Amino acid sequence: MDNSNSETINIHAHRSYWKLGEPMVWLSGAALASILAIAVILVFVIISNGLGVFWPSPVARISLLDGGSTIGELTQRQQKRDTGAWRQQIKTGNRDFNSLDFRWIEDSDIKKITYPANIIALERMEFGNFYGFLREVNTPSGQFSKDLNSQFEKQFHFIAEEMEKLEDMEDDISSLSNDMESLRLKKQKLEYHGVASGSPELAKVQAEHARLQQEFEELLIKQSNEINRLRAYTATFEDISGKTKSIPFLDIVRYYYPNTMSFFQKVGFYIEKLWELLAEEPREANTEGGLFPAIFGTVLMVIIMSFLSFPLGVITAIYMGEYAKDGVVNRMVHIAVHNLAGIPSIVYGVFGLGFFVYGIGGTIDTLFFPERLPTPTFGSGGILWASLTLGLLTVPVVIVATEEALSAVPKSVKEGSLALGATKFQTLIRVILPMASPGIMTGFILAIARAAGEVAPLMITGVVKLAPTLALDSSFPYLHLERKFMHLGFHIYDVGFQSPNVEAAKPMVFVTTFLLVMIVMVMSSLAIVLRNRLKERYTITGF
Amino acid sequence: MPAPPTADEAIGNEMFQTAPQVEKLAPFSAEDPKIIRTFQRAKRIDLMARWGISAGGILVIFCVVGMMVFIAAVGMPLFITPSVAKLSQFDRSLQEKILAVGVDEYLETGFSLDQRGVWSFYYMKDGKVFNQVTTKPVAKKNLQLHSIETYDNKIYSLLWADGSTTVTEVKFLPKFNEGVRTITHQINRIADFPAEQNQQVLQSFARISGEDDSKRVTLVRQLGNNKIQVIQQLVEEDLMGNTEEKNYSNDFQYPLEDPITVMTVDRLGNAVYAGTQTGQLLQWNISEPGEASLVGQVQAFENAMAITALAVVFGESSVAVGDEKGNLTVWFPGKIQKTGEPGPLKKVHIYDSYKNPIARLLPSTRNKSFTSLDEGGNIRLNHMTSERKLLDLSSAQPYRIFGFSTRDNGLVTLDDHNQISLWELDIPHPEVSWRTLFGEVWYEGYQEPEHIWQSSASTDDFEPKFSLTTLVFGSLKGTFYAMVFSIPLALFGAIYTSEFCKDTYRRYLKPGIEIMAAMPSVIIGFLIALWLAPIVEQYVISFFLSTLLIPLVTVFFLFVWQAIRENPWCKRIEGGYEFLLIVPVIIFGCWLSVVLQAPIERMLFNGNFQLWLYQETGMRYDQRNSIIIGYGLGFLVIPLIFTICDDALTNVPKSLKAASLSLGASRWQTLWRVVLPSASPGIFAAIIIGFGRAIGETMVVLMATGNTPIMDWSVFNGMRTLAANIAVELPEAPVDGTLYRILFLSGALLFLITFFLNTFAEVIRQRLRKSYGQF
Repeated sequence: MDNSNSETINIHAHRSYWKLGEPMVWLSGAALASILAIAVILVFVIISNGLGVFWPSPVARISLLDGGSTIGELTQRQQKRDTGAWRQQIKTGNRDFNSLDFRWIEDSDIKKITYPANIIALERMEFGNFYGFLREVNTPSGQFSKDLNSQFEKQFHFIAEEMEKLEDMEDDISSLSNDMESLRLKKQKLEYHGVASGSPELAKVQAEHARLQQEFEELLIKQSNEINRLRAYTATFEDISGKTKSIPFLDIVRYYYPNTMSFFQKVGFYIEKLWELLAEEPREANTEGGLFPAIFGTVLMVIIMSFLSFPLGVITAIYMGEYAKDGVVNRMVHIAVHNLAGIPSIVYGVFGLGFFVYGIGGTIDTLFFPERLPTPTFGSGGILWASLTLGLLTVPVVIVATEEALSAVPKSVKEGSLALGATKFQTLIRVILPMASPGIMTGFILAIARAAGEVAPLMITGVVKLAPTLALDSSFPYLHLERKFMHLGFHIYDVGFQSPNVEAAKPMVFVTTFLLVMIVMVMSSLAIVLRNRLKERYTITGF
Repeated sequence: MPAPPTADEAIGNEMFQTAPQVEKLAPFSAEDPKIIRTFQRAKRIDLMARWGISAGGILVIFCVVGMMVFIAAVGMPLFITPSVAKLSQFDRSLQEKILAVGVDEYLETGFSLDQRGVWSFYYMKDGKVFNQVTTKPVAKKNLQLHSIETYDNKIYSLLWADGSTTVTEVKFLPKFNEGVRTITHQINRIADFPAEQNQQVLQSFARISGEDDSKRVTLVRQLGNNKIQVIQQLVEEDLMGNTEEKNYSNDFQYPLEDPITVMTVDRLGNAVYAGTQTGQLLQWNISEPGEASLVGQVQAFENAMAITALAVVFGESSVAVGDEKGNLTVWFPGKIQKTGEPGPLKKVHIYDSYKNPIARLLPSTRNKSFTSLDEGGNIRLNHMTSERKLLDLSSAQPYRIFGFSTRDNGLVTLDDHNQISLWELDIPHPEVSWRTLFGEVWYEGYQEPEHIWQSSASTDDFEPKFSLTTLVFGSLKGTFYAMVFSIPLALFGAIYTSEFCKDTYRRYLKPGIEIMAAMPSVIIGFLIALWLAPIVEQYVISFFLSTLLIPLVTVFFLFVWQAIRENPWCKRIEGGYEFLLIVPVIIFGCWLSVVLQAPIERMLFNGNFQLWLYQETGMRYDQRNSIIIGYGLGFLVIPLIFTICDDALTNVPKSLKAASLSLGASRWQTLWRVVLPSASPGIFAAIIIGFGRAIGETMVVLMATGNTPIMDWSVFNGMRTLAANIAVELPEAPVDGTLYRILFLSGALLFLITFFLNTFAEVIRQRLRKSYGQF
């Protein structure tokens, strides 16, 4: 090609580069890149904050230039806006000594940072973590100040075993109080129905109640004696300023020597904490301990929800896809479905509260539990009403996915079935639904993911920050649909925004967030993979 | 995954399960009764299924309509006209003039007080008198009553002809015995005030305030000569149970040339209001014992109309004023802007006028409504804030005297012909009208009419402020910022993905963004409120810089790119990898904005933008502000808008695109001139759906704003939206109360907004689908 010719083309190209709109392509590329960047950053923030919470970080001893010193975990560094100086945030724990868990120290004030091996970190039943030094172990049989660490370990394990017995006792007490409560309700019901106060029926109930009451009180006394006995086992600790505190072993959940742990010990610690998260009850106004009740509540709610949402959604989709004629009614159903999908979730909550809780729940109360009024049974928020509300909310998700799956079934297959003399319903049950089942599954999974993450309607239909009892337990009728429940999403809102010490609660919120994101993301990914597979299968089979 | 059964298997299972033997024995026959039965059974099942499934499908329509109807139905009672029903009427002709009437809250027994001081109690259904109690003056003479005054529907000050006053309380005590209710009554004599020597007493007002251990009885008397006398009895009880009584008395006079025509005292005995012949409205403060000061004096009416009736409205800060022309107004002190102290009385509410002078005004004891009676004998009940006329009673026989039950649910009237009538009132939500919900209302203590949302306060006598406009504004503000952030990103992102992106990436991008859509809003709310908000607060200058710098840097980069794009490596990038190469450019832009923040802030804003903002403009910087909401809500709707836009763009028939490209148009020209116009209804629908989602989003707004209901477009403060407001207030709202119904109404409003948006969007999409079907 001629050199000059190529030059003109080049100039032409340069000139038209802007005219042809190439820069706009780049700008739209930038838009896409921004969306992805935001998403990646968000996920990164969740993962980096959520995963690291349980990893035991070393506890530093910071000597200050003014002669003082402090110990704590180094949490974050920040640059001051006006001077540009860096400062360090330290989690000092020991909330019973210093009213705050956290402290900022300017870099310029720090003389030296060391990691002494003898620092012990305690997780306690109250007042958060303790960082300090072990000084003494006291038991009723004597005081130990030598060979402290092994003594401490021995006593700690001894108390841990005793604690298990205490927990058994606790279970007995709570089942007793459950029995007493149901007897009380029975008595209330009898009295309401006008059974005379001297009747044998009532007397029997009363006698039984009195017997349980006595047993209950005996057990309570036994429990408190036991606790008093165990509280005599204490250990004395000293904090960095030299103040000592004697802490009963009963109040110590866990202890570790953060600066001497090996990698595998840390892994073990991490796994232990993870197990606590999944299986234990929360402590300290939900900011410590486990999430078990919240996980349980979320799962149970999703299961109950499925019973409303799945059948209704699938039937509607079948109607729209297979039965409805293309006319006004079908268009209206379409519009209705898209409206259902677009109605704000809080409006479902409002409906749930008015219709399910006060409407149906109130009616059930007046019909079946009039003796308990004005204390509501079903007439206040509970897991059943919350689930039904979410059931309505997720119906459109199921419908849309099912509809898509039904329409993906090749027409020829349907027609083949019909041509062989099968009725429409037979074709549906035997041919279409089996073929569409992965797509329908997709809808179910998406609905579950949606329900697991939705919070606003639950806030007014029965979720609570701390439910004393699970909705499923060993006392008749086992499944207590009227009970309030805990929920992962609400847990995030509550701990992150309603707790008095937000800074101390943040790690827990991040962990909960991580867990919820994982559940939702994994389920949605699964659903999408399933759907794409379905699409591929039909494009390959392609009739 | 089990392979789906083929059509043959499916049918074989159902119909020919029992057939093999038959087949061997005889050829297939349509007349075989067994087969006919099978066919019939299948047909029956099919029919049943058809009905069942159709019913299920149509149920969805009912769900939508039912939800709407239900939510609206809970809100509707706010607007029903109050009902009044006459329960009974009987004759009560006496020789003595009746001065007061009353009824218990169960509307079973009532009483009247006549001029001799005789309380007659009777059954309201037939007027049969069952008890009479006489209150005697201290003077033990056979005196007639001069006049009476009452407040709280139970405390009566009886002014005797000699000028002495007796304060009594009428109490009704319901008793339940075996489910049968009987109502007994008590008349307690609370205090006596002897007559003043040589003084003519025109009116007397007694007020009782304070708890048991520190009680105050205040008596205000209107004397002759335009004089007002205040007597205060303080009874204090110490811990030992000893009581100490202190008495104070003082009087003050108003110039004689302008006679006082009417006066009233507030419920606690802290303020005296008086109206004069020339229309002066006067206010004295008597809260300090033994002291009285004229704190307010305004010429109420320019044409010197006489004031004929006064009443202090519940809450003790507003006065209802009636004049001789029949006008009815409410006045309260406006705030002095600088000091925040109460200023002079202002005319705030004006009500429908009567034809005759107003004779009497009586405030409600439970809310801010008041009853008026004119000389023509008409009774009206108005609510102060909503200015609604709740009740209008007029008959051929003018009413002269009326009294309420203590719960304000019953009204007794006495007309000119001595007929006593009992009315049952049902006024569930007097404070609500369309104007209080959506218009500007002049609330007590404010300078001017405003939109305010404040549903509750610590005191009972607080004026609830239910302006939904504030909340609608909040919703729109949040949505606006969200759309500003999300529409460009989502739309252009979708354009790039569907038109220019490499197919290999496209296959992952779309599902990826769909997964983004599944991100629970509570998580986004938490992240932006507790993680992003502090960062934005610290780097707020960088934020504004980046909106400028990122496009600048990109344009600069494009100039550079233009020079090197002919390189074959660069050519490859232009085949759908642009979005990857631009990432470092954007990061560079962000980095530049962060680096430049400190010098710029030092140079322009004295080193602290927030402080500068407050000092220079008076605007406060809230950490949780509209920028944060824009990000949060925007991030929430981006996947939604993106997916629908992407669908709309991809569904544009390939033939259109191919034709444009083959005619020599560039890829952007094809998109801009051909694809985008065809897909524009879909894109429009996407934006509408995104808008609908953002306007109803709860958790993000709840967590990431301060939830302060203010009307202000500023990006530096937050808002309270309809949705968040429901979440905040509904759990605390008493069932079937005004707040509860208003929250349902705002739910219905949200429903309606999204219903119209979604229906509109769906209709557009259905049209679009049809028109694509033509290709």
